[in-house]
Amino acid sequence: MDAPRLPRIGVVKLASCDGCQLTLLDLEDELLAIGERFELVEFPEASSRRSTGPYDILLVEGSVSTPEQAEHIVELRARAKRLVTIGACATAGGIQALRNWADEPTWRASVYPSPDDVRSLATATPVSEHVAVDAELPGCPIDGRQLLELLTAFRVGRRPQLPDEAVCMECKRLGRVCVLVAEGTPCLGPVTQTGCGALCPGYARGCYACFGPKQAPNVDGLSRWLAIERSTPEVDRLFAGFTGYAPAFRDSTERAVAAMQPPARRRRRSNGEAG
Amino acid sequence: MVIAAAEATFLPRERFDALLDLLREGGRTVIGPTVRDGAVVLGEITTAQDLPGGWQDEQGPGRYRLTPGHGPRLFDVVNGPQSWKQHTFPPRIPVATARRDGDGGATFAPIAPDPPRLAFLGVRACEIAALGIQDRVLTGGTFVDEDYRSRREAAIVVAVACTRAVSTCFCTSMGTGPEVREGHDLVLTELDDGFVIASGSAVGDRLVARLPGPRATAAQVGAASAAVAATRAAIGDDAVANEGLRDRLMDKLDSPRWAEVADRCLSCANCTMVCPTCFCTSSTLRSDLDGTVNVAQREWDSCFSTSFARVAGGNFRPARSDRYRQWLTHKFATWYDQFGTSGCVGCGRCVTWCPVGIDVREELAAIAPPAMPVGRVPPRPAAATTGRFDVATLRAVGPETADTKTLRLVPGDPALLGGIPGQFVMVEQPGLPAFPISASRYGETELFLTVRAAGPASAALLASPLGSEIGLRGPLGRGWPIDRALGRDVVIAAGGIGLAPLRPLVDGLLADRDRFGEILLAYGARTPGDRLFVSELDAWAGRGIEVAQIVDRSDPGWVGRVGVVTSLLDQRDFSRRPSVAFVCGPEAMMQATTRVLRDGGIPEERIFVSLERHMECGIGLCGHCQMGPFFICRDGPVFSLAELGDFFGRQGL
Repeated sequence: MDAPRLPRIGVVKLASCDGCQLTLLDLEDELLAIGERFELVEFPEASSRRSTGPYDILLVEGSVSTPEQAEHIVELRARAKRLVTIGACATAGGIQALRNWADEPTWRASVYPSPDDVRSLATATPVSEHVAVDAELPGCPIDGRQLLELLTAFRVGRRPQLPDEAVCMECKRLGRVCVLVAEGTPCLGPVTQTGCGALCPGYARGCYACFGPKQAPNVDGLSRWLAIERSTPEVDRLFAGFTGYAPAFRDSTERAVAAMQPPARRRRRSNGEAG
Repeated sequence: MVIAAAEATFLPRERFDALLDLLREGGRTVIGPTVRDGAVVLGEITTAQDLPGGWQDEQGPGRYRLTPGHGPRLFDVVNGPQSWKQHTFPPRIPVATARRDGDGGATFAPIAPDPPRLAFLGVRACEIAALGIQDRVLTGGTFVDEDYRSRREAAIVVAVACTRAVSTCFCTSMGTGPEVREGHDLVLTELDDGFVIASGSAVGDRLVARLPGPRATAAQVGAASAAVAATRAAIGDDAVANEGLRDRLMDKLDSPRWAEVADRCLSCANCTMVCPTCFCTSSTLRSDLDGTVNVAQREWDSCFSTSFARVAGGNFRPARSDRYRQWLTHKFATWYDQFGTSGCVGCGRCVTWCPVGIDVREELAAIAPPAMPVGRVPPRPAAATTGRFDVATLRAVGPETADTKTLRLVPGDPALLGGIPGQFVMVEQPGLPAFPISASRYGETELFLTVRAAGPASAALLASPLGSEIGLRGPLGRGWPIDRALGRDVVIAAGGIGLAPLRPLVDGLLADRDRFGEILLAYGARTPGDRLFVSELDAWAGRGIEVAQIVDRSDPGWVGRVGVVTSLLDQRDFSRRPSVAFVCGPEAMMQATTRVLRDGGIPEERIFVSLERHMECGIGLCGHCQMGPFFICRDGPVFSLAELGDFFGRQGL
């Protein structure tokens, strides 16, 4: 009897930096074992061999940012048995989703010398706003252990164990000292989904929510405390980052963007300073 | 703490490594407090250098800071974020394996405990109580957590009696400390030059016998006991009214406060992670890529996790208020039903390490207030019994207003100088009735009493020649809770002679000015000439207090405002930053003022007033000063508006 067909994995990207898919290559200890148990049919970062599907698991990186991507993701969905979005861009829109509050042509004109060569949508949006998604791995970039758990769970036939609790719990389990309480450093850990291994607080930095909101986060509660009790300036801007377009953070980001200056004026000012 | 001198050894601080060497014999690892990342955490201790010598901690709701201490003490830092469950009940351990053997076979095997041999150094009384609670929870029932039991049995417990406390400590309320009574092998009490060390077990006996130090002297043992007693006094015992709390709390499952606290709570689970008794865990699986070898890990989880009570069809505790209620009622109420004890030991970690400073003491007082507030026993009052008085000598008298003077008395018992701002003393002169007067300052050697001639006894006191001997009892009653003002803005509102009981509070705030936010003193008097401490008002203004003054009736020299105290306050917004208010004056003035403060955004739990009533005994025995459920002398005179409720301002009570 023939050996059973290996599950076919595809890795594709939309608007993104490729950092998340590189996490798969960074699983150096497990990479050979993964290669023996899955067939990597589409993974341009690793191989020039290409496949348009079908896929048993399709890992999608990046947000939908151009008209082509909006069409492409629908086609990809049709060819994937399970579609898993990976990273802050694919799951929450990413840093580029900050343009969703801006006048896109104005920004484009302020950045590119020939703005007419760029064709982009007015918004950058998470994949889940376009097609059904079977699982999401958050983070900027994603965490290798979570990716491995996803693949393992697929093989074993269980639901992947992706905790939706606060970063704080992992911080405490690891014996870290809370930077917010002991240093007064603004930290979004209490409202952010864990999975990163509480990286930033481990380096005495506040969490900036690259894994996005945890389940039912109390964003207002944390913001009020930071602003009033800890006199933190521009609290809303803390949320206006990689996952600022996530629904739970959206109000904060909107206020932060509203408080910022329009790009044209910023540009003139920086020219003036340079001159 | 009870230590018989014959049992205790004295170990000079410079010989401390000798104790560490003893503990480390046979390959044992010593775990104790050490400084890392701006806090004291538990780590390996190989020499005394690893301990937080010379550091102290400052803790408040949502705030922790290490500060340089006074002198070389090794254990002046109280509890850090980590409790000993880090080592008795680690955050994440493998507990079992499940293997697929092929052809449908399976093998399940527990992972045998392999406990490290540890000595826990610096375990506080509250922590020992917490270990005792986890012993009951994890090993006291039909089924036993073998890993926990093995770790507990392999560890030596070296306790340290607390000679310092922080504002979040409330072991006294929960009956767990600060005295170390049982559950330890050794107990150390740190003095200026070394440690009084006593044994609490057979293991401890053998260690003490081999310590190099001499037998502790009676004076050293006495100093150790006194130091711990001073810690008890500093903590007070009115933070949580634990008596009857279980029933009160379970009666309040429908309190609107659950929703209100849920508005602040982040459900981040920090409180449960740092709690030394919280034991909830989840099992997570680590599998190889084929699912052949699967390891079950036990890891700390929390009732604050959204998924903790989730089942296939939904979530039994979907709302944040559900989860907060579950935690608080379990810890302080249903824990009794399950384990015969409270789940709280009063270590205060959940208060300090809550990222938004939610204080269980405040929540409990708001949700399940005691029928009667617990009267705070004043620190070592002098001559507390009726009829006995300390004899103080009148050293100086200074005029304040036409009918008011400040007397400076040198008491025989220095306890009279150690009172809390807002406390009072009973004044007795031979042949005259005793009357209460609030301390208007605690000096180095003198007690300041600001007295208005209101009757024969007070008039006689003001007329006493210097050198007269006056009888005093006190300090008595419950004073201003200055610790509630740490890190917060402070509003002090005084009317007329009401500034006198507030002056020690001002002294206390100025002594630690950096630890408080903005301070506003709003002072109203009938006329400019009726103001107390006029020269000091200007001095305070120069030392970081905004002093606003107003008088009912002007006089030719007055260039300030005319009107009532409330008009100094009613244009202000106190909701922008957390504020605390202390109010003293005629009762009508206090009613009007507290209304303005409440409307301005200060919660009732943080508005404090000092009430006046007829007092004779001053210690809750004579019945004169009753108001509703309170004896003003014993339960007050200082109350929060929340405590007083509808009784405040009601006529004829």
